[in-house]
Amino acid sequence: MLVDLPGGWSPLLGRLAWSQIPYANPILAPLFVAVVIGAIIVLGLITYYGKWTYLWKEWLTTVDHKKLGVMYIIIGLVMLFRGFIDGLMIRTQQVWAVGPHSSGVFGSLHGYLTPFHFGQVYSAHGLIMILLAATPLLVGFMNIIVPIQIGARDMAYPYLNALGLWITAAAAALIMISLFVGDFAHNGWFEYAPIFEMQYSPGVGVDYWIWTLQLVALGTTLGGINILATIIKMRAPGMSWGKLPIFVWASLSANVIALTSFPALQVALGLVAADRYLGAHFFTAGMGGNLMLYTNLFWIWGHPEVYFVILPAFGMMSEIFPTFSEKPLFGYITMVLASMAIAGVSWLVWLHHFFTMGAGPYVNTAFSVATMLVGIPTGVKVFNWAFTMYRGRLTFNAAMLWAIGALFLLLIGGMTGMMLAIPAINYMVHNSVFVVAHFHSMLLVIVYAIFGSVLYWFPKVFGFKLDEFWAKTMFWLFSAGTALVFVPMYMLGFMGMTRRLEYVFNTGWQPYLDVMEFGIVVYTLSVLAFFILLYVSVRDHAKNRVGADAWGTSRSLEWMTHSPVPFYNFAVLPHINERDEVAWRRQHGIDNVRPEHYEDIHMPNNTGVAIILGGLTFVLGFALTWRIWWLCIVSLLAIIVLMIVRSFRGDPGYIITGAELQRMEEEAYRREAQIADSHHSHPVSGGVVGNAMAYQRNDSSK
Amino acid sequence: MDIKWRNWLKKGWRAAALAPILLLGGCAHNPYWIFDPKGIMAKTNLFYMIVDVVIMGAIVGLTALLVVWFMWRYQKGKNRGKYDPHWSHSNTIEVFVWGIPIIAVGFLSYFAVKGTFEINPYNPTVITHHMKPNGDPVEVDVIATDWQWLFVYPQYHMAVANELVLPVHTPVFFRLTSSAVTTTFFIPQLVGMIDVMPGMRTKNALLSNHAGEYQGIASDFAGAGTSWMTFKTKMVDKADFSQWVQKVQQAPGTMTYASFNRFAQPYINVNHHVVYFSSVEQGLFDHVMTEVMRGKTWPLPPMMTENMVDYMKKQAAEHRD
Amino acid sequence: MSSHASTVDPKKAELWDTHHHSHDVISTRTLGYFLYLLSDGMLFATLFAAYGVLSYQHSYFGGPTPAEFVKPWYTFAQTIALFLSVLAYGFGMNALKHKNKSGLINGMLAAFVLGVVFLVLDIHDMSHLYSMGITLASSGGMSAFMVLTQVHATHIFFGLIWILVMMAQVMTKGFTEETVGRLLTLRMFWHLQAVIWVFVYIFVYLWGYIS
Ligand code: HEM
Ligand SMILES: [Cu+2]
Ligand SMILES: [Cu+2]
Repeated sequence: MLVDLPGGWSPLLGRLAWSQIPYANPILAPLFVAVVIGAIIVLGLITYYGKWTYLWKEWLTTVDHKKLGVMYIIIGLVMLFRGFIDGLMIRTQQVWAVGPHSSGVFGSLHGYLTPFHFGQVYSAHGLIMILLAATPLLVGFMNIIVPIQIGARDMAYPYLNALGLWITAAAAALIMISLFVGDFAHNGWFEYAPIFEMQYSPGVGVDYWIWTLQLVALGTTLGGINILATIIKMRAPGMSWGKLPIFVWASLSANVIALTSFPALQVALGLVAADRYLGAHFFTAGMGGNLMLYTNLFWIWGHPEVYFVILPAFGMMSEIFPTFSEKPLFGYITMVLASMAIAGVSWLVWLHHFFTMGAGPYVNTAFSVATMLVGIPTGVKVFNWAFTMYRGRLTFNAAMLWAIGALFLLLIGGMTGMMLAIPAINYMVHNSVFVVAHFHSMLLVIVYAIFGSVLYWFPKVFGFKLDEFWAKTMFWLFSAGTALVFVPMYMLGFMGMTRRLEYVFNTGWQPYLDVMEFGIVVYTLSVLAFFILLYVSVRDHAKNRVGADAWGTSRSLEWMTHSPVPFYNFAVLPHINERDEVAWRRQHGIDNVRPEHYEDIHMPNNTGVAIILGGLTFVLGFALTWRIWWLCIVSLLAIIVLMIVRSFRGDPGYIITGAELQRMEEEAYRREAQIADSHHSHPVSGGVVGNAMAYQRNDSSK
Repeated sequence: MDIKWRNWLKKGWRAAALAPILLLGGCAHNPYWIFDPKGIMAKTNLFYMIVDVVIMGAIVGLTALLVVWFMWRYQKGKNRGKYDPHWSHSNTIEVFVWGIPIIAVGFLSYFAVKGTFEINPYNPTVITHHMKPNGDPVEVDVIATDWQWLFVYPQYHMAVANELVLPVHTPVFFRLTSSAVTTTFFIPQLVGMIDVMPGMRTKNALLSNHAGEYQGIASDFAGAGTSWMTFKTKMVDKADFSQWVQKVQQAPGTMTYASFNRFAQPYINVNHHVVYFSSVEQGLFDHVMTEVMRGKTWPLPPMMTENMVDYMKKQAAEHRD
Repeated sequence: MSSHASTVDPKKAELWDTHHHSHDVISTRTLGYFLYLLSDGMLFATLFAAYGVLSYQHSYFGGPTPAEFVKPWYTFAQTIALFLSVLAYGFGMNALKHKNKSGLINGMLAAFVLGVVFLVLDIHDMSHLYSMGITLASSGGMSAFMVLTQVHATHIFFGLIWILVMMAQVMTKGFTEETVGRLLTLRMFWHLQAVIWVFVYIFVYLWGYIS
């Protein structure tokens, strides 16, 4: 049944052997040492300050959607950093390895990365950026914001939410460990048949790729179900569909896409695994396989996926523009329709990723026209943002700058997308760095929207604003980097430079590659600025405390409750009267009206099951990658048993009494009142900074 | 009228494209391969690119200006424009907001359809309809291996590895397959990309009236040797072409089914070797396709290029260099 | 140009949720489960698409085709077993309506046994093919055949475990909000698997037998 392996296998360790650890690699070995030292320091600090209990009780076992969201965002940022380092390595290799006379070190003929390593770096870069940076960041924001925006106390399934997070973390861990144990895939983030077959990729790289993606797919599917159910079932009284905040609509459409498209990826990967593990012939060139089937299956997921990541970003922009234009979003209904149209049409365009495969002109034109149809709702969105600013009162703070940057990038990406959508153009630039520049323009829309959202929602989650000066510095450095890297990249595309070159055969491209390398340096400075931004903001947090409505011009429901948001979100659920409820209450001077009467509320308990299950899925993925069969069986059994045990135990939850709530709320209001005059250094109320525990501790001490 | 319009657009575009080059110091010839087509296929691609850029550029450019104008006019505290805190809907604007993209997409769709048929790789009407071929077409069977190109000229019973020589003013028809993995055949200045897949056959065609040497690229990643899987394409006039054919036909090497089996072993063509084969066993192209469909592969060793320098030594030691 | 006029009078508006309403656990749970089944349905749709692409004559590469080994009556027996299992589960759920615990347990037990019959028939069939040298490595077509049918069988396998777990839960905990919710979602799961089996039976077995 099982395929013959090139290389050794042992029952105890599977394919794992000492030779798989790159201890002699001049880049990885020092990095490994650094990581180990770093880990020891961090763990040591936690122990020294006695924070283990805090960490376990407040974070690792939490089911609070805000904390889970924060952890999603932390994973996303860490992976964004890792992906950025990969990008830096790619650029450095390409600027170095130009022409036959360029030097080479570390066993490579040119540059410092051999094809073996270069392939891993860009494959990991692509996979990480789309699925382990952008996706967790967006899911994190949806997690934090959606329940508050619809006036709910938590997600529909808090435990499932935690499970989704820890499975995503397991995926991130799996791809990280591939750095130091074995190798990662070499053939790009989407691989392709038949190069991922055993004959052409004999290592464990493709297997790491399969199981990492499977875990991401699983985690995202669970998250998608949760968000959809939350939006459908948990809206506050009075919140009809027409009053749903636009970010919630965006999350809804995005997760409809995720829920329906990720199974296609899971099947595609499952079939690749069948080929590689069991010797099936789904995608082999011979024996009746069909390698084009893989390409189709992958992009049937792949294209909806890119819209899954851009739609929430559009939603974020649609929140930021109105707040800092001080007027409602222009064309709410159009905006909703456009999101739904994008979600629908995104299913009908996958073939534009392989116009060059030689399908007939009828097929190609059908998909070409369908692709351009996506441009219509996308264009509508841009116009609507523009008209949101029209007759507005614009404040150009850092969050707004990021949103505007995203808008301009979207124009560029949309323009080049419409070029790629026409086969007669696509034949010339497909597989060239022009495509790379196109989708980086688009993915940067997401990155810009995310940084905008970090600035925009940070005060809501942590109770203080980030430093404007450093946020703007970071924005301008980042944008300079974007221009310096991607303008030359578009130009190189027009020069015919193809993508994924480990060695650049045309010396005429050198000047452009130089400029791009310089751009990467500027990007690096912006990363530095980001760290400074965090440091300065935390240092000065007492000065930058905010009340419920952090911006003073906010519109949707999350700005009604305290900042930071208490763990129960709303002591009394609001009744929704208007689309922009907070703006409406502010306008009519009823934003200070407090509930008169507090009732008992019911909250879910923390659970350690989710993180243990996440750890087990990591073990399972690792065991499958290395074909350690006994470990696969053990971890799978453990997963099943644990799930059954959890289902027997259930979660009764706990009650917070009305009196207790009232006490906490009054305390929060009291502190809120102090912000204005004396920059008080205590958090206004609980939430992410740890008040849930404080509450429970109070509770038990009684 | 069509042609005139095209020429006009093309000139304008070239001037625009040249501007940044002049800024960057100015080269003797245009390094923008896509803007400097030397074959009818590539020229047609460029035409559609110009159309698209003009239409989309107009919309995108105007939108960008609009946004910038709004940003200027409605900045808080500057009191340049009127502030209306409630305004959020206008049917007139909605009509434009949907109408403009719809009309633009309508336009572009027309060109998309037309263009796809004109340069359909299997039957490019720009070659088959509009041009009177002055000479019989040349056929080339292209076989991609890991990581070389074998160009078989069935009409002349000969083959060349890693170099393509073709006559000008003559339509060329390609059949393409691969013995290993999928890659893409691309000569930026002559013809756009077409995938080359194992066990399958794709087609492409080109026609060029400009003698010269053009870069050919394996543009889809095919493994460790992809970066060196390039080939020069020489467009020569007909007399030179016949001379060249004779030269190849006198070469010592031959390509049989058996020698193809050796040729298709993984090989990184770092030194850009070009090999001539004076004769080719009948039906090699179909033979490779059937073999691959039967499940034949030429597998790669594990960790092959983990150390490229070592690997090149190994390749040399096997007398394959 | 119109503006978004306010329709609610802010003086009289209701600002807080006064009638404390807890959301319905069972309906929230079944909605979520329905969404999961949607993605499960997509999974099978994709597998069917793959099977469609890989069921041409040349996909079997001259090797065995379903026409050579499918025994429609054998598979029909599987169909009957699975349908009776769904029916038995239905009887059990009917008993649930009358708060009849033993009725429910009996129904589920019957459903379980019939499901096991289905699975045993499937395993027997597969080992028979294996003994004839027909595996998923035989050809692209056989890979698609095997994976589609066995992915369905795997679903049945986990469904059976779930049935056992639910029997235990009902016996130990009785009819709580949690157990009843799970019984309902399990019913949805079991029904979907039966429906998918109909497609497998028709498009894979019968169709394969005919062509
Ligand atoms: C106006 C809307 C868009 C159009 C018309 C469009 C069109 C295209 C086309 C035709 C391709 C295929 C290029 C090729 O490989 O030859 C492509 C690639 C791609 N697009 Fe877009 N696109 C649009 C929006 C987006 C968005 C919103 C995103 C994601 C954020 C995105 C991300 C990508 C990615 C990641 C790829 C390439 C993947 C790869 O080859 O590695 N695009 N786009
Ligand atoms: Cu990138
Ligand atoms: Cu796409």
